[in-house]
Amino acid sequence: MSLKAFKLVPAVEREMLMGDKARINVECIECCGKNLYIGTNECFVYHFLLEEKISSAGKITFAATKQLHKYLGFKKAVSELKAASALNRLLVLCDNTITLVNMMNLEPIPTGARIKGAVTFTLNENPMSGDPFCVEVCIISVKRRTIQMFMVYEDRVQIVKEVSTPEQPCAVAVDGHYLCLALTTQYIILNYNTGISQDLFPYCSDEKRPIVKRIGRQEFLLAGPGGLGMFATVDGISQRAPVHWSENVIGAALCFPYVVALDSEFITVHSMLDQQLKQTLPFKEGHILQDFEGKVIVATNKGVYILVPLPLERQIQDLLTSHRVEEALVLAKAARRNIPKEKFQVMYKRILQQAGFIHFAQLQFLEAKELFRSGQLDVRELISLYPFLLPTSSSFIRSHPPLHEYADLNQLTQGDQEKMTKCKRFLMSYLNEVRSTEVANGYKEDIDTALLKLYAEANHESLLDLLVSENFCLLTDSAAWLEKHKKYFALGLLYHYNGQDAAALQLWVKIVNGDVQDSTRSDLYEYIVDFLTFCSDQELVWKYAEWVLQKSEEVGVQIFTKRPLEDQIFTKRPLEDQGKNSFNPDNVMNCLNKYPKSLVKYLEYLVLDRKIKKEKYHTHLAVLYLEAVLQLKSVTTDNCAELTETQTKLRSLLQKSDFYRIHLILDKIKGTDLHMERAILYGKLEEHDKALHILVHELKDFSAAEDYCIWSSESKDLPYRQRLFHMLLLVYLNPGSSDCELVMAAVDLLNNHAAEFDAARVLQLVPDSWSVQLLSPFLTRAMRESIHTKRMTQITLGLAKAENLIYKHDKVKLKGSPIILSDKKLCQVCQSPFCEPAFVRYPNGGMVHTHCAAKRLMNPNMTNHSQT
Amino acid sequence: MKPDGKVVLLGDMNVGKTSLLHRYTERRFQDTISTVGGAFYLKQWGPYNISIWDTAGREQFHGLGSMYCRGAAAVILTYDVNNLQSLIELEDRFLALTDTASTDCIFAIVGNKVDLTNEYALLLETEEENRSEKLVTSCISTKVQKQVHLDDAVALYKKILKYKMLDEKDVPAAEKMCFETSAKTGYKVDYLFETIFDMVVPIILRQQAEGPLQTVDLTNCKSAKRTKSGCCA
Ligand SMILES: Nc1nc2c(ncn2[C@@H]2O[C@H](COP(=O)(O)OP(=O)(O)O)[C@@H](O)[C@H]2O)c(=O)[nH]1
Ligand SMILES: [Mg+2]
Repeated sequence: MSLKAFKLVPAVEREMLMGDKARINVECIECCGKNLYIGTNECFVYHFLLEEKISSAGKITFAATKQLHKYLGFKKAVSELKAASALNRLLVLCDNTITLVNMMNLEPIPTGARIKGAVTFTLNENPMSGDPFCVEVCIISVKRRTIQMFMVYEDRVQIVKEVSTPEQPCAVAVDGHYLCLALTTQYIILNYNTGISQDLFPYCSDEKRPIVKRIGRQEFLLAGPGGLGMFATVDGISQRAPVHWSENVIGAALCFPYVVALDSEFITVHSMLDQQLKQTLPFKEGHILQDFEGKVIVATNKGVYILVPLPLERQIQDLLTSHRVEEALVLAKAARRNIPKEKFQVMYKRILQQAGFIHFAQLQFLEAKELFRSGQLDVRELISLYPFLLPTSSSFIRSHPPLHEYADLNQLTQGDQEKMTKCKRFLMSYLNEVRSTEVANGYKEDIDTALLKLYAEANHESLLDLLVSENFCLLTDSAAWLEKHKKYFALGLLYHYNGQDAAALQLWVKIVNGDVQDSTRSDLYEYIVDFLTFCSDQELVWKYAEWVLQKSEEVGVQIFTKRPLEDQIFTKRPLEDQGKNSFNPDNVMNCLNKYPKSLVKYLEYLVLDRKIKKEKYHTHLAVLYLEAVLQLKSVTTDNCAELTETQTKLRSLLQKSDFYRIHLILDKIKGTDLHMERAILYGKLEEHDKALHILVHELKDFSAAEDYCIWSSESKDLPYRQRLFHMLLLVYLNPGSSDCELVMAAVDLLNNHAAEFDAARVLQLVPDSWSVQLLSPFLTRAMRESIHTKRMTQITLGLAKAENLIYKHDKVKLKGSPIILSDKKLCQVCQSPFCEPAFVRYPNGGMVHTHCAAKRLMNPNMTNHSQT
Repeated sequence: MKPDGKVVLLGDMNVGKTSLLHRYTERRFQDTISTVGGAFYLKQWGPYNISIWDTAGREQFHGLGSMYCRGAAAVILTYDVNNLQSLIELEDRFLALTDTASTDCIFAIVGNKVDLTNEYALLLETEEENRSEKLVTSCISTKVQKQVHLDDAVALYKKILKYKMLDEKDVPAAEKMCFETSAKTGYKVDYLFETIFDMVVPIILRQQAEGPLQTVDLTNCKSAKRTKSGCCA
């Protein structure tokens, strides 16, 4: 698991420092901007200017030019250097004293201000005083268990605080009011302002050199037991998991997102993000590793080197190249901090997409999909992996540099058919998901066409759904593909969607006729009929009408009968309006003449469903029924079902319709045995006696005769019905015949339909010989009816009387209170007194002269006036 | 991003802390390498981010425990049901580390590796949702007699309450806070973590309202009751 995060670049070579003096050693360094300071064991401070150079190949080198060097005048090593650039001062620790020297000429300041008795010191990088011309310096004092805080100005120093610690401190770092201290046996956080301290964890500083390093606001990096790099905040908690160094780490620094550590042989690089060791650089005899304003510098006794971080993008690309997707993404996310927002977003999206393709190539589609989605992948990148899916007209070109290493799916799957199928299935579901989202905007054609191709190839049922709903499939590309895969029905749908109904129909008809093979729909004929029914292209409908009718007269006729009403023209309109193609009944019937079954169906539709009151259609239908009945009768002896059915229809039409030509039908019926029909026709002509005569004497069907009376009078008033029943009774009682059967029929008629007779008239007709017994049901019913009528009348009378009484009561009430008329009362209209006893009083109590009331009646305005 | 609450796994090395966390977060069991120092994982629980710290049981890293526990809302004390010593260690070595935890910190005691015991098959039968785990139990021959029983854990829980000077009435019942799990089969692992998370939410809310309670102010007589100086009780 190695990654190239840093490169080691020499900054100051040994000969620049010491020339031929072999005993000179680097003791400490400081870097501030371009100024590099080096303190030596022989009490010299060197000042270099450090220039960074980038070659055209992107290679970084450093050129250090020596400015000057200065001997400090002791026999001791320079142990620490810290620059305070705002003050133009360099703080130099040598022989337990911190002196302030000019940053540029290294001359001690004239005031000679210094801090004495310091073992080691550090600057507060999060100072609490707001003064920009002052730095806070914290020292570990030579006094036992003592820490001191100083304010250092341009030319003076001032002690501000002294705190004692529970044990001897060995190392210190500061952030705000917090000191992070390595004591002899443990690390602690100490608030020098309040004195409150918090233990972090035990550490034996005598055995191993402690490290205390401020790594950011309120957070420190510490060397822990077992070679751990521990993180701790000023609150005494750890918010990051530790990194695992080697046992003898000399120095550590942070260069986000890496923790860099130095031991006697290596520089190690751990990621703070996943705690993993990412890089190891061999580095012998190193003894300093420090970061200065983000620049990590390492040094041996003899030379100084800079650890140059490789651009995060490079690192991420390297990780992706070795398919370490998780790590790459973690690093990319962390890079957000270091890269400008706009640039980051572009970069991050690209990384997500690349990561998506890596998962995709491993057939990890769920992960891939999520990455494509979050990386807002141009779907065509994915489609373009699949050969032939993008329409030929597509303007798409893959992004450069490429998002993945594959030419196409064949290369990716290495011809493995199973993998290929899986990839195709994934693309299907993916495209289906995104096609209606904003991801598809701008290239809906490419997506839908690709989807259509996948569906067609895989014989997927969604192909039809795609084509019948809103879609952007490109016609030429899709048509060729569908034809290639013999999806003719679908191709028809495609034509239809593109407004080419003629082409669609032509294809479908071919399928039904068996000219081409496509078994998508077993009911394709019905589908076509349906299609034509709702097709608004009249010419097209007429073109296929014959074909449809030839296939099936009954089903085919639907193209006329089920057609939306607004397409049909029933009423006569100016000729030019109708056109020869319009679906008016005349045109339709012209076409249907060759197809009798269709014609009947169509006429039934006009007469029964549409209830068109045109004699022509009613008569035509009646004649067709009649002919069918007669034809059937001539070929069959016994009553077949079809005959019964047709005959029922005929009778029903004759009974219910009032528009056919009765005489014409009557003529056609004469001489046949269609007695019932004849009776109906006579009935229609109001020749009830003839009709009843047929029913009673020729058919001898008494119940039919009774039915006749009922339906003939259906929409008529009671007297009409009674007249019919009387007529029937008379036919039964015809004195000419003394047929016993008829007598019985008469008795039954009376007994069963008592209510339809006027009893008084019946009694006059009934032969004297009939017994009361015989007619007792009739008589009882008649009697009851009569009594009922009488009682109902009485009730009506009673109610009317009661109502009358209520009015009377009201009247009396109104008259009840006396009205006093005196000469003091004035007429409300003319405002003059009453001189006569006669007056008019309105219901509201107002009194007026009779003549004023009369006037008011004539001129209503006056009253309004007077009332106000 | 700063987590809202902290849950810490404590216990002797090899009891299966890392495996439990791994099982919960990665949904699988894998041979682990001995944890160095500590590791942590962030879990989104409703609107909260809960950090779960996996600590190292090795003696070498023992000193880090207090820092990891500082401000913790829950501590999961883990032992191995087949290793009595691992339970004893919890009281002897690990309990003191929790002094830095939030004062209303909840404690759970978890006996791991129940899959190795001869009681496991029985446990599964009482469990309604015994899934494919049954397959794993087929090799009965390797099963051993359980060394630590749930009662022992309950007894430890009560000792902890005494140590913390907490009233049994004020804290979740012992039976609720003692778990037996198997990181290997996944038995009760989700249940363990999710029960804890649910209990941690009120503590997070309280911490967010009042700030952390981890430092015990000895001058405040109210909290004195909760300190360790049990001698005067
Ligand atoms: N049979 C079984 N073995 C387990 C279980 N949990 C952990 N182990 C094993 O116990 C050993 C120690 O596990 P680990 O998670 O590293 O323990 P930790 O030191 O507490 O983190 C490893 O070999 C695991 O495979 C369990 O539930 N059942
Ligand atoms: Mg572990």
